[in-house]
Amino acid sequence: MSTVFINDIEIEVGPKENLVQAAERAGVEIPHYCWHHDLSVVASCRMCLVEVGEKKPDGTIAMIPKLVPACQTPAKPNTVVLTNSEKVKKAQAQTLEFLLLNHPLDCSICDQAGECYLQDYTYKFGNAESRLNEPKVQRVDKYHIGEQIALFTDRCVMCTRCVRFTREISGTAELQVTNRGSVEEIDIFPGEPCNNKLAGNVVDLCPVGALCSKDFLYKKRVWWLKTQDSVCQDCSTGCSIHVDQEDNRLYRLRPRENPQAQGSFMCDEGRFGWKYIQSEARLTAPRIGKALAAVGQHAELSSADAHVGNGQFENGHVSASEIGHGRVGSGSSSGRRHIHDPGAVNEFAKVDPWPQVLSETRQAIKSAVDAGADRFAVVLSPMMFCEEAYLLAKYIKSISKKVTLALGPVPIVGEDDQYPKGPKGEPPAEGKVKFTIRAEKCPNRLGVEAVLEHFQGEVIGFDELAGRLSAKRIDGLYLVGGYQGTWIDESKLSMFDALSTLIVQDFLSSPLTDMATIVLASATFAERHGTVVNHAGLAQEVHPVIRGATDVRPDGRLLFDLAQRQGLYSAPAIRKEMAKEIPAFAAFDGEIGALGIQLFNIVEGKRA
Amino acid sequence: MSFEPVLLRRRGKPNSQSLESYRADGGYTALKKALAMEAPKVIEAVQKSGLRGRGGAGFSTGLKWTFLPKDVQGPIYLCINGDESEPGTFNNRVLLEDDPHQVLEGIVISGYATKSTTAYLYLRYEYGDCYRTCEKAIEEMYANNLLGKNILGSDYSLDIYLHRGACAYICGEETGLIESLEGKRAWPRIKPPFPAIEGAFRRPTVVNNIETMACVTQILDRGPEWFQSIGIASEHPKDPGSYGPKLYCISGHVNNPGLVELPLGVTARELIDKHAGGVWKGRKAKAVVPGGISMGFLSADELDTKLDFAGPGKAGCLGLGTAAVIVIDDQTSMVDVLYNTCRFFAHESCGQCTPCREGTAWSAKILARIRAGQGTLKDLDTLTDISNSIGIMPGTTICGLADGAAWPIKNALKKFRPEFEEYITSGRRSQSFEVVGSH
Amino acid sequence: MSGLSEEAKQKIRDLLPRYPSKQALTLPALHIAQEEARCVSRQAVHDIADLLELAPSQIHDTLSFYGFFKDEKHPLGDNRIWVCRSLACMLRGGDELLAEVCERLHVAPGQTTADGKATIELAECLGACDGAPCILVNDKLQLRMTADAVVSLAEGRA
Repeated sequence: MSTVFINDIEIEVGPKENLVQAAERAGVEIPHYCWHHDLSVVASCRMCLVEVGEKKPDGTIAMIPKLVPACQTPAKPNTVVLTNSEKVKKAQAQTLEFLLLNHPLDCSICDQAGECYLQDYTYKFGNAESRLNEPKVQRVDKYHIGEQIALFTDRCVMCTRCVRFTREISGTAELQVTNRGSVEEIDIFPGEPCNNKLAGNVVDLCPVGALCSKDFLYKKRVWWLKTQDSVCQDCSTGCSIHVDQEDNRLYRLRPRENPQAQGSFMCDEGRFGWKYIQSEARLTAPRIGKALAAVGQHAELSSADAHVGNGQFENGHVSASEIGHGRVGSGSSSGRRHIHDPGAVNEFAKVDPWPQVLSETRQAIKSAVDAGADRFAVVLSPMMFCEEAYLLAKYIKSISKKVTLALGPVPIVGEDDQYPKGPKGEPPAEGKVKFTIRAEKCPNRLGVEAVLEHFQGEVIGFDELAGRLSAKRIDGLYLVGGYQGTWIDESKLSMFDALSTLIVQDFLSSPLTDMATIVLASATFAERHGTVVNHAGLAQEVHPVIRGATDVRPDGRLLFDLAQRQGLYSAPAIRKEMAKEIPAFAAFDGEIGALGIQLFNIVEGKRA
Repeated sequence: MSFEPVLLRRRGKPNSQSLESYRADGGYTALKKALAMEAPKVIEAVQKSGLRGRGGAGFSTGLKWTFLPKDVQGPIYLCINGDESEPGTFNNRVLLEDDPHQVLEGIVISGYATKSTTAYLYLRYEYGDCYRTCEKAIEEMYANNLLGKNILGSDYSLDIYLHRGACAYICGEETGLIESLEGKRAWPRIKPPFPAIEGAFRRPTVVNNIETMACVTQILDRGPEWFQSIGIASEHPKDPGSYGPKLYCISGHVNNPGLVELPLGVTARELIDKHAGGVWKGRKAKAVVPGGISMGFLSADELDTKLDFAGPGKAGCLGLGTAAVIVIDDQTSMVDVLYNTCRFFAHESCGQCTPCREGTAWSAKILARIRAGQGTLKDLDTLTDISNSIGIMPGTTICGLADGAAWPIKNALKKFRPEFEEYITSGRRSQSFEVVGSH
Repeated sequence: MSGLSEEAKQKIRDLLPRYPSKQALTLPALHIAQEEARCVSRQAVHDIADLLELAPSQIHDTLSFYGFFKDEKHPLGDNRIWVCRSLACMLRGGDELLAEVCERLHVAPGQTTADGKATIELAECLGACDGAPCILVNDKLQLRMTADAVVSLAEGRA
């Protein structure tokens, strides 16, 4: 450790820090555009110029007469840094004037406005006026630069972060600088757009409004967005992310820097893959009492006016459509009124369908277990959070130890996709990997497996369970889905034919929910609170960002209530409980924090 | 006392480019001498001679060589900077066209001294004749054991490869040259690391100028004392002096433009009057560029400035630069001259650092507007501000191009300000014109 | 448009041993490509990228920096004539020379004459200030030029 002085603030620095980093820890902002800690240092934007000197042993200070870029200057012992001298302020203002010379100042229609470093730095370090008297250089926008990204060429400050990203991190090298001097621009090679699976990161890297995400473009002013920490669910890398929402609507995901997890970036599959949250196929309410044989209700269930006025009792239960549309009232066998006319729906008359649904579910489970506990199985999905898996496993095993707990299908797509790519698209050499999109397309296999090992003593895979199903050794099944799309082949549905009870907990309607005797309409990660454990054993917390439909219930709460626990579902409280009960989750005793905790030691893909 | 040219002594001789004629004039005896010495002794001799690089920065050549790390495993590269592009400069062209072996001999000697394994001669594309003479000369050298394995029976081996540029001024900046050699855009590198530690292909590298190489040959041939006996001696302990002969390029408004070799320290006046036949058309000089346009301007009353390494600086210029003197007569508008200068740097700025990329283009635009009769006096302050805020001297850029772009502005607005003010207030427009186009 | 000929590719491969990195072949390869086809086509960029194990955008990044290489939509004429406009030539009539040449050949700098015989370019200092105004014809310098002389060269008469 060594000491540096930033505007008279003394601070200890580590061996590989530069002055921007040291100053940041001292609470001093050194403005910069081109420097990014994950990219090579080019020191070309010249925004981070500071005065630098050395404090000699005798206490005197010798300053270097010229300005130096803070990003390029290592924080060596006894370095004295001035970031607020007149000389520095003048240089900062001058650099900003240069950068804004040909900038269109179209902030009013620029997506970046509100999170733009040209705006912020100009406000903090710049001059209000430009002395330019000549016409500004106008450049052609390049919407074709990528499927997901557009380049607003004249907003660019030529920091080249995007180019360096494609050369150093993705290795795909689609982006380039063309021309020279004041006419240079960012571009692609004609006909070869920047469509690599990490391409969206260049939008985050762009410090100004030059590179924009087409998906987000003109959708929302960023100052209205509220941000929550979360974890990407799309693969077992478990990228730390920000989720931005406004008015209960999701707008975008962005990577959240986490050196313990993925680093600074995320892939486009994760970044843009969240649209299922707003899918038309979302289940909007639970349902009880559909016959297994009657497949084909799928479309009806997802359509808004299914069964309106046609409420009926099946096996003495309220039909799904009635519950789903809040039209269960007194007058039914349970003493509720049954509204037949949708026009007569009174908001105040809406009744929560869940108490009854959960009661029926408990009843169904009990009946099935009573009929033969070894012929009842529960499938925990690797999409579940640890707390949810624990709640369900514990509940089921409390009914009977003989019930089989199994692991749901673990989606594997291709092979791990590692970056930076070589010139022929080949993966990087060992030890040179900077980002991996994992083949395992689920966020929490390890966490769910640990729960299963505790409660079941082993991890029974879905293939084995499917074998038992096909062999008709199972009569009742409680199955948790939570996958982002169709996860089971329609041809394989026949394995469920012989079941007498099929409880499906999921958020998307599917042929399987159509078959189910009970459908528990659950929630997506954006609506839930809990913990996932990534490929490396790092546990990270997913926070709820939005609320689902009125009659959709987040899985944690659903299972908490199913188990008839007292009070409200609280992920931290469940974790404390898990920590006491399951040695593998001992680390859940502490706070997880924004960056997560190392929960498991992983050796060769297995929990050690 | 007249000075007998050394570097140019073979200029104009029949067949001066051939190995045979070069050898007949005593060529490659310097190399033999060098190969008989320990490599550090060669460096010592060059250091002792006081030779300072002829490319513009004037850094001690021998000292530069000592910055290479000791006991290097693996290759060391020698890059010869033949990207001579500073307006007014053509000395290296003449050397390579007329006497390539003198330069190539210097390259082998320097390679031996620095233990270089490969030399790349980076030649600007425009010098096609140089390329062809060098290509032929290098062939002759390989055929005569002056290149390749075990040169002249010694343990030393060296390859020289010609590498052609593609018309970019910035490739003359040593790290811009290295980037260009590596196949990238010629964006100068941030330092440290300096090329001696990590240069071409991330290996220790020395970058030297063509004329410097010719000087090395002569120093080894005639001895460092001979070199030290020419030029201007060190004036104080911190001044490394200005030793040896220098090639002065003279162009612009003189009767006899051309290249002359003189001891360092000749005055601008003597160069113009004695060696270039005086200012043309009986006119007087209004301004003189002392060493390529990036060095700024001497005014008419500064013509007695000695053109050694220290002289132009004393008159407010950036330095000696390439010792390329351009004479501007009293009928020429300094507005036109400065516009030409600014346009050059705007065209040649590599675009990497914000202040240079934007500052050079902006100053050219302002001068274009002044030339169009639309200038204001405030523009002169803006120009001064720009010129004070770009370059490695204020610390705002990676390389010195911006200093070179700023200096003519500073000098012109300081030494010729009344002319600019009169131009603007009179509403005059340029009599000169410009053809616009692109390539 | 077709890419590099096998002969050109071989020329590039022959230069490989000279450099410790393949990328260093970029400029030599671009010169070989332009000499062969009077331009560097997109396919040629691809071919070079394949040979040097780089992305086409990396080749193009370097290519475009120099302003020297022409794309397939703007191939060079039989001769490329650069007219210097930097200070030493300007002082001795470089701008006027360029203007007259362009006027008489009906081209703007950067364009090729209708008969395809010459491409006229404006140049920054060509390094022949002792012979200002000077031009560069392909890669050969011509000193002390007049408009008549340049036009003759452009029309292939000299």
